[in-house]
Amino acid sequence: MAKNWKTIAVGLNLDIPESDLEKAQTSLDSLDKAFQPLVRILPHDTEPAVMFQCQPEENQ
Amino acid sequence: MTIQEAAAALRARKVSSVELTSEALDRTARLDQKLKAFITVMDESARSRAQRADAELSRGIDRGPLHGIPVAVKDVFSTKGVRTTCGSKLFANHVPDHNAAVVERLESAGAVLIGKTNMHELAYGITSTNPHFGAVRNPWDLDRIPGGSSGGSGAAVAADLVFMAMGSDTGGSIRIPASFCGTVGLKPTFGRVSRFGVLPLDFSLDHMGPLTHTVRDAAVTLNALAGFDPRDETCSRQAVEDYLPAKTISIRDVRIGLPENFYFDQADPAVTQAVRRMGETAQSLGARLLLVRVPDIAALNTVGRVILLCEASALMERYLAQRDNFGADVLALLDQGRLLPATDYVNAQRLRRVMKQEFQDLWKQVDCLFVPTTPTSAPRIGQATLKFGDKEEDARLASTRLVRGINVLGLPALSMPCGWDDLGLPLGLQIIGSPFQEALILRVGAALEDATDFGQRLPTGIA
Repeated sequence: MAKNWKTIAVGLNLDIPESDLEKAQTSLDSLDKAFQPLVRILPHDTEPAVMFQCQPEENQ
Repeated sequence: MTIQEAAAALRARKVSSVELTSEALDRTARLDQKLKAFITVMDESARSRAQRADAELSRGIDRGPLHGIPVAVKDVFSTKGVRTTCGSKLFANHVPDHNAAVVERLESAGAVLIGKTNMHELAYGITSTNPHFGAVRNPWDLDRIPGGSSGGSGAAVAADLVFMAMGSDTGGSIRIPASFCGTVGLKPTFGRVSRFGVLPLDFSLDHMGPLTHTVRDAAVTLNALAGFDPRDETCSRQAVEDYLPAKTISIRDVRIGLPENFYFDQADPAVTQAVRRMGETAQSLGARLLLVRVPDIAALNTVGRVILLCEASALMERYLAQRDNFGADVLALLDQGRLLPATDYVNAQRLRRVMKQEFQDLWKQVDCLFVPTTPTSAPRIGQATLKFGDKEEDARLASTRLVRGINVLGLPALSMPCGWDDLGLPLGLQIIGSPFQEALILRVGAALEDATDFGQRLPTGIA
């Protein structure tokens, strides 16, 4: 189901004017349409590529 | 003249750094009214630095091939005491108290910094039509964009204002201007060149690299820049090599992959022909040309867009109440990034890991890939769409389509001139390598450069 970007903007209390939201909608809809099918086939145990690393000196 | 030729002339006392620098500054003063390639020209400090470079050389102090060579850096690189705007109204009066690592290394190598180049606002776009500092023009045709976001660097090198200009590349921002301006552009592996002191667009996609006249000049510059820097947590400890290709090069048995999917599906026929011809040239030099299927690049681009939208908006969030300080196109992207949920960002980073693995399998088959850098030559300023047959595509998305995904994987990629279209505009070949294989892609690029003359034609759009 397509996301309602205007509702998201209102919910997050973002100060994005209505006319600018209209512009964002088309681009985000097409991005989301391409992105969500990729997410659906991700193996469950795949970790993100960005990792936090705890360095030894932090414990000293 | 190339960096290597200028370096030889300096050591033979045929020319001085003061003369080279004066020529660069004079030419910039003469042509930059049209080109808008610079935001800040550092006339006084450049002349004084050139004098110092000459004095050192005469005392036998030789800092290497960049010693005394006039260069420029994109206005994202912090310069101590010299304003660093990032092409943005927000930072119009920002004067850093330190130098970026890249600037430090260029100075240690003796380069003479003549100025800070113009760019797409906040490095977030590919036109370099900057609403605050003027639209950068392409030296091949002043009515066309130079590409971006490092458009000023591309224009400055193409117009022969400097020997080298540094760029940054988050989704093609070194390679696109290199392609549109007919220069060489090198995006090294993520972590090869320190990001310290660069105003960031995106923490995990930003790469720093040079735009130059020749492949060997890019290699000379990388030799000065590469190496670990503890101030950049993503900087690699991988050993640095000598990246400069030998005078006589062999690329015998190098396995070059020519993708049979994605890269040539929607491209100007002139681009397709030019890239394939470069493949044939490499083959005639002894390389092995292999048809390969590449992983899903469209998916990789989608993942890259989600990561970029989220990270850039997170970075700029604190400024977004000042909407009048942003250009319309950049503000639109920043708005989009604020609307994407955190789950999308995390999932994009998970997909990134999967795609990295898929590409690792590809590197078992080939040593590098030959693909176009951009699917067309430079579009006109203000041109919103590009046409491929009966299909129309957003000009920004089309121009980043063949370069963006490579940033997601952090792979090294070199763009070099490979021909011209019917309008006489330059076209770019992109050579993509596996992680930290800069020496290999530079060697292949230099071999092609030696065998062709595509890098030797000068722009006709300026006097």
